[in-house]
Amino acid sequence: MNQHQPVGIVMIEDDEGHARLIEKNIRRAGILNDVRHFTDGTSALDFLFEAPDGPAKNGPALILLDLNLPDMSGTDILARIKAEGSPLRRAPVVVLTTTDDKVEIQRCYDLGCNVYITKPVDYDSFAQAIRQLGLFLTVIQVPDIEPAE
Amino acid sequence: MLGIAGRLASGRGKFSRVLVGFMVAGFACLLATGLAAGWVTQKIQYHSGWVNHTYQVEIAINRASLLIEQEETSRRGYLLTGLPVYREAYDDYAAALPGALDRIAELTADNPVQRAAIGRLRQHVAALEAQRARVTAIMDNGQRAAALIAFANETSIRRMRVIRDQASDMLAEERRLLAERDAEQAASVRAFYVILAVAAGILLVVAITSLLTILRYTRDLASSRDSLRQLNETLEDQVTERTSDLSRANDEIQRFAYIVSHDLRSPLVNVMGFTAELSTAAKPLTDLIDVVEEKAPELLTQEMKLAAREDLPEAIGFIRTSTQKMDRLINAILRLSREGRRVIAPEPIDLAAIADNAVAAIRHVIDDRGATVTVERPMPDLVSDRLAVEQILSNLIENATKYLQPGRPGQIRISATRARDRVIIAVADNGRGIDPRDHQRIFDLFRRSGTQDQPGEGIGLAHVRALAYRLGGTIDVASRLGEGATFRLNLPATYQIPQENAAA
Repeated sequence: MNQHQPVGIVMIEDDEGHARLIEKNIRRAGILNDVRHFTDGTSALDFLFEAPDGPAKNGPALILLDLNLPDMSGTDILARIKAEGSPLRRAPVVVLTTTDDKVEIQRCYDLGCNVYITKPVDYDSFAQAIRQLGLFLTVIQVPDIEPAE
Repeated sequence: MLGIAGRLASGRGKFSRVLVGFMVAGFACLLATGLAAGWVTQKIQYHSGWVNHTYQVEIAINRASLLIEQEETSRRGYLLTGLPVYREAYDDYAAALPGALDRIAELTADNPVQRAAIGRLRQHVAALEAQRARVTAIMDNGQRAAALIAFANETSIRRMRVIRDQASDMLAEERRLLAERDAEQAASVRAFYVILAVAAGILLVVAITSLLTILRYTRDLASSRDSLRQLNETLEDQVTERTSDLSRANDEIQRFAYIVSHDLRSPLVNVMGFTAELSTAAKPLTDLIDVVEEKAPELLTQEMKLAAREDLPEAIGFIRTSTQKMDRLINAILRLSREGRRVIAPEPIDLAAIADNAVAAIRHVIDDRGATVTVERPMPDLVSDRLAVEQILSNLIENATKYLQPGRPGQIRISATRARDRVIIAVADNGRGIDPRDHQRIFDLFRRSGTQDQPGEGIGLAHVRALAYRLGGTIDVASRLGEGATFRLNLPATYQIPQENAAA
């Protein structure tokens, strides 16, 4: 965890149920960081890049990203975050989605995704995966954001 | 196409009817001409007979006239000379004369005119003969002078003239008859020519009409052939078009299946997740009930206890098993749609080797079930997708060993034949068979047939059929309950990569 500022977790997930389950299991893993939840891509991007308290203007963040969003594809958001010159390009992105298509996974890593996790339908595996992600988050080093010029 | 075929068929019927009609007419004409010729020939023959007859009559009349003249000449010689040689000659001619007259009578017996004439002639000749005999008798007695006086007195020259006239009348009558018969003959010859001309005319008409009919039919044939060829040429385009339509539709279904199965997974994650949460939450509740029951049982009703200890766990259990099943089904659809998106890579395939591999891969299962598998050789060449053919074969072989008739060791035969540009691969077993009502159903997703005593979701054959379709083939089954089943996979011998797949 960053020493100066707590790392905010930005969760972009259109399914409220999934979001709730993910948050529950992250909390169970002992992660107490602030989690901001967005159900669509537009408002998520707006928060990431424009909001005064958003990560681009204000401190480090870790992004949990679902690929199936109502208004845009998660890969578009990933591309924006990891684009050359983006203030967030070093922010870790964990893609957490139901898609287990090989091509899609490759594409996400090509775009710069840091971790790709397929949501298991079986809840025990799901809970297990999220808790492990939580444990992973407790040790991960998140770089500081370079404020946009 | 049907229209053209129909037109051709009816055209052929009409054509042959017309042609047969013409041929019958032609033969009728020929027959009529032949009959007419025969009739005319007969007429001419008949007429020639009569002409001949006329000449015979003429000869007979002339002979009789000559005899009469010669008789007269020799009598006069006798009267002049008294020489017996004249007398003998006279006797000879007189003796021959009745025969000559009889001959005329005989020849003209059918003609009343001539009969009457010969009667008169006979009278005159008889009178003449009598007179001659009288004079000759006087001469015979040596009274030469008396005989000459009698000769001078007799009117024989007048009588002779009458006889000559009579004879020439008869000759004239015969000539008249001859002229009549000539006219008749000319008429029948004319009739023959008329018939001949008419027949020739009809034949000509028949020939021309037949020729025109044949020409028209040939033209029809040629135009039908042209349109057939055109149809054939466009047929290929049509087939290509349909194929691309089909593959587009297929792609759409695949995409649809993928999206649907994918999107179904999301809510399922929630259902399963919150069921687990529910289950977790139920635990402290049950604990609470236990504690309350121990410390203050009066607070508890039977209902509360039942809800916490039985109803909740039961409901959660059902939700769980159902969602698990749903998960399996969705995964099956996903797998099918993913298989459908795989790129087909055709290559020359050794079918027998693939069959052997498929058998070897599930050898332990086959042995466990006590079945034997025979791969019949040789197998025809095939250019197709190796993986897909392998999957189809192993699915079919696995199924064949799975549904055995109890008490009968399984025997499975794999064979392949080539039929023109198709290869037909047959997997035949002696298992429990499939009810004919289910022959279509078993290829549908999640559908199974017969006793449900074997594990499975009803996915294998749906998968097989999807693969077969992707390879441009078909699959069907021939079977009866209790008598084994034969699955026939019909594949193109050489897989053609669809041209317009990119359109998807």
